[in-house]
Amino acid sequence: MPLDTSTYSLALLRLDGRRWNELRRLTAQISTQVAADGSSYLEMGNTKVMCTVAGPSEAKGAGGVRLGNDRADIRVSISIAGFSGVDRKKSGRNDKRLMEMQHTIASAFAQNLFTKLYPHSTISLSIHVLSQDGSLLAACINACTIALIDAGVPMHDYICACTAGSTSSYSSNDETADPLLDLNTMEEQELPFLTVATMGESDSVSVLIMETKVQVGRLEGMLAVGVDGCKQVRAILDGVARARGTKMLEGSRM
Amino acid sequence: MAPQSLQQILLSPAELSYLHTSLSSNPPIRPDGRTATQFRPLIAESDILPGTNGSARICFADGTEAVVGVKAEVERSSGISRDVDGEGEGEEGVKKGRNEWVEISVDIPGERDDDSNPIFLAAVLSEALLADGEFVERLWINRHFHWRLYLDVLLLSPPLSYPLPLLSLTTHLALLTTRLPKLLSEKDEDPLFSDDWDASEPLYHPPHTSHPPITLLVMAVQETIIFDPSKEELAVADAVLAVSLSESPTSNSSSQDTEMEMDVEGGKKRNLRLLAVRTIDPPSRLTHKGLANKVNTATGGTAQKNLEDGGGDGEEGVWCPPRGGAKRGLIKEMIGRVLERGGVGEEVLDGLCGAEL
Repeated sequence: MPLDTSTYSLALLRLDGRRWNELRRLTAQISTQVAADGSSYLEMGNTKVMCTVAGPSEAKGAGGVRLGNDRADIRVSISIAGFSGVDRKKSGRNDKRLMEMQHTIASAFAQNLFTKLYPHSTISLSIHVLSQDGSLLAACINACTIALIDAGVPMHDYICACTAGSTSSYSSNDETADPLLDLNTMEEQELPFLTVATMGESDSVSVLIMETKVQVGRLEGMLAVGVDGCKQVRAILDGVARARGTKMLEGSRM
Repeated sequence: MAPQSLQQILLSPAELSYLHTSLSSNPPIRPDGRTATQFRPLIAESDILPGTNGSARICFADGTEAVVGVKAEVERSSGISRDVDGEGEGEEGVKKGRNEWVEISVDIPGERDDDSNPIFLAAVLSEALLADGEFVERLWINRHFHWRLYLDVLLLSPPLSYPLPLLSLTTHLALLTTRLPKLLSEKDEDPLFSDDWDASEPLYHPPHTSHPPITLLVMAVQETIIFDPSKEELAVADAVLAVSLSESPTSNSSSQDTEMEMDVEGGKKRNLRLLAVRTIDPPSRLTHKGLANKVNTATGGTAQKNLEDGGGDGEEGVWCPPRGGAKRGLIKEMIGRVLERGGVGEEVLDGLCGAEL
């Protein structure tokens, strides 16, 4: 954060006025689209994603050949809208970064969902990114969790994700560097950060991705803050899912 | 002819025939009990994305959902031809836009962006938008610079019914909320804009300028004209038209040929204008023909000797896919029904005005 290194150490406030351990405003809606089996809309600050789930449905290959094996196949497709960033940019289908994110999400949920209950079938998740401002992968994972709950696919527990960073850059050797929670785009561009996802309230990490360099001594602090953030995220997502459940029960009683 | 968009609908010839008969009766009996001109309810939101110049989201009752985001960029006009145009016409005529300043891309899940269907939909949308030539003029900044407008139309759900009206209504709402930063520099200086978003100027000023266009789908079954057709109804359509219209500014009600007659006492009457009409290939043409009982061996009939004979044609209750085009009178009637005063066009525009607030 070369732009405001001085101001951070003075007031311990970040660019957008948060403290080191504060999440941005996180809101989610469940069941936003009638046509899909499950759908969700999630905002983490200015990052906005929509996720729809189709399936579990029968896996069909070319020419109607029956595909798949003894467990459900999870397919993830992410499309980033041209207007989502600051400048209008059309991203290609074969973007390597997107493909890696798709793979990460698919493998995380393959562990979490009871895919054995749906042999020879496919669960396809399609994610639309409407606006991006950091923590993209984390927002996608959270949106998928909510959408899969809406679709009624049985799972072990919520997978909740958030990002964590550190105020010191790789080379500077300041001892007072703080770990930061839930980075936005500006912070992501300047600082080392990682994306972590945990299973429910436990500390078991299901996704951990880091693409920047950081001194190994800082990693533990970042991870601890990240895991703690995931628990906060879980509480919020749980609230959304429960509110939906209560509403459905009220509807059925009528 | 427009490309086929719908997946083949799985209805038997008997079901198709049943639908066709009930729709062609007077008044038509629609599967969901609507009247011929009644629209399905929809949910509309506008200005949902702060990162765009304008945005909107619409969900139709059948679960299809679309999001449109508009982004504007300043671009240097390719000078030479512009200067030549400008010189001849003097100061007043200089403000001229070009169609390539607007770029529309349609994204439909499961289809590549170079498939025929998204390209056709984008063409219909831009055709309506550019039809009056007045829209692109508003993108003109000065002789050397202009706005370049990107409209990204995303269909978020699988295309259950023909998505054109949904995409068009969403684009309409997004364009209505589109704002461009206020220009501070003068004349041919390099453009400098006010960074106060509250001072930004809307691209469309509905009372003063025209409305953005809307495209509606109209279908006919024999003599019956039906609006907002659902997927099942499209499966038995004889003719489908995509009619694009917009509303002219009410202030200068000049009597052009294409404009509908304005009533003298009409204070709040809308001044609708036809912009474009396209025929859409109805999916009913790809359905299979039904067999009359007397030529169906399964029901004790005797099989037809000559397949070319086309037995059972025109027999009541036996489905026969429509052949040939629609009659001129019918097409005229369909367009008229959209544009007439108190007709569907006005109703839809009124509804969309409600959504803005």
